[in-house]
Amino acid sequence: MRDQGAALQQRIATLQAYIGKMPALSPTVSKVMKTCRNPDASPADLTRIISMDPVLMGKIISLINSAYYGFSQKIASLPHAIIMLGINTIKNLVLSTAILSNVNRLEHEQALDMDFFWQHSLSVGVTAKLLAEKRGVRQSLQESYFVAGLVHDIGKIPMNNRLPVIYTQALEQAEQMKESLYRAEKKVVGIDHAAMGALIAEKWRLGEDILDTIRYHHDLAAYQGEYEEIVMTVSLSNYIANTLAMGFSGDRFPEKMSTECLHRLHIPPADFKEVAGAVNDELKKARVFLGIT
Amino acid sequence: MRIRFWGVRGSIACPGPDTVIYGGNTACLELRFGEQNRLVIIDAGSGIRPLGNQLTRHDLKNGPIRADIFLTHTHWDHIMGFPFFSPIYIPGTELNIYGPVTFEDEPLEEIVGGQLRYRYFPVMYSELSASITYRHLVESKLDIGDGITVTTKFLNHTLLCLGYRFEYDGKVICTAFDTEPFRNFFTDSSETDHIDPALIERGAAAANVETAKIIDFYKNADVLIHDAQFTKSEYESAKKGWGHSSMENAVEVALAAGVKRLILFHHDPMRSDAELAELEKQCRPAPGSSELEVAMAREGMEIVL
Repeated sequence: MRDQGAALQQRIATLQAYIGKMPALSPTVSKVMKTCRNPDASPADLTRIISMDPVLMGKIISLINSAYYGFSQKIASLPHAIIMLGINTIKNLVLSTAILSNVNRLEHEQALDMDFFWQHSLSVGVTAKLLAEKRGVRQSLQESYFVAGLVHDIGKIPMNNRLPVIYTQALEQAEQMKESLYRAEKKVVGIDHAAMGALIAEKWRLGEDILDTIRYHHDLAAYQGEYEEIVMTVSLSNYIANTLAMGFSGDRFPEKMSTECLHRLHIPPADFKEVAGAVNDELKKARVFLGIT
Repeated sequence: MRIRFWGVRGSIACPGPDTVIYGGNTACLELRFGEQNRLVIIDAGSGIRPLGNQLTRHDLKNGPIRADIFLTHTHWDHIMGFPFFSPIYIPGTELNIYGPVTFEDEPLEEIVGGQLRYRYFPVMYSELSASITYRHLVESKLDIGDGITVTTKFLNHTLLCLGYRFEYDGKVICTAFDTEPFRNFFTDSSETDHIDPALIERGAAAANVETAKIIDFYKNADVLIHDAQFTKSEYESAKKGWGHSSMENAVEVALAAGVKRLILFHHDPMRSDAELAELEKQCRPAPGSSELEVAMAREGMEIVL
């Protein structure tokens, strides 16, 4: 038992050490490089790229809310962050994150395909924002839904990149047992992506709403905090993306949403189809923008 | 409270026949507080050299030199005078150096002290006799003793740059040495047609929020010393994104904040005495239209509050 505990400690230390230098996702990297190295890059292009990558988005939100600035109010909107920090600061940060990715990609194989993972993250972000819009959430808050959805699975990245062999076993176990991936992660890795993601959100100071979303998106029943709407909306968006196979982040057997949750969000099922169509359009546009065929 | 201008230029020192009246040294301000004559220096541009000489000549006989130096940022025109500030070579000198450091940069001590290396200068940093403490600043409010408080606010520059608000004995001095109006640059692009209108809207909202915060920061200041490197037409035609303001914008901001006296600062090195004198007249509000006093910063100028 003690040995197992020590091995788990060791694994978590490995994953934690990785949090600071997490790379941007591979599908966005070449576009990131091209845009950031162009001195005349448009701020709108820069915003679009960041909005498509959970790691870049997390890092920008983390930086602007970090002790480097000491701002008293949390800034959750990406356009606001860019206008405050200036294009150069953003470009430097984005570029350093992207360069790391190129180095890391050569190091080892990954269990999850980052292209599909990226599609899944973006789908959940877009879905959460669309659902928020449908539910009449204030426009200034809709951005938080998007960000929370985009980064909800960020805890998978360290496991996928630093412990690819063990993580592959977790993916296989989920497949064999027909269970949701987070359950297999707990058994095989010893920590699930929700807990891992929460460590990242805490370290990066992504804000309470995002932290809670990451930590509870597979455990709505246990959630007691004040961001229930955003946590539930992202959880539902994740379920939609998984069942409609928009991208793939390892969860082929997601657990059903409770009817209570669906009632509380008051979303008619007809809206789901409409949302799914819109998300697919967004994904198509993103691929064109990034030059992925 | 007393303010004396030792350097008013931006970018680079520019001595010569065209800069005799307003001066050619880069940013340095001396503030004196109360009967104890407490010394605060803002920025260590080339103007800090004559200030240092003045201190060693007149203040040293009353005891070791003690000063708080607030750096607005670490662009070279704001720190270049530091190796020539003579008190750093005098044992007993005590300096507190405050300033912001940009994300991923070296600590303040290395950025400022790094100028004292053989490749740039004949004296090594380790050879200095003064005792120097560095303090990395973010947005905050500090009590530096003797009843003086300093509030800091990030401005809009190409590098992290702080504005300072000094309050003492009911009087307020604000500085905004290098700053550009916050603006919605999502509308800049030539491809505006393809940009999500929501993005443009959010950019505009963010710029408005930040502008309102800046105006609040200068609120009712007795003196505001503000970047005025460009004229409005220069700014609009070619200098957007350079991190500096136009004179016209400085006046607008000062009016909005209810400032009593605006000192236009950080003159472009290309600006001659004759041009500055003419622009100074143009920037003054029409008689009777406002109480705001406007003047161009001039080396040697002194303001007593």
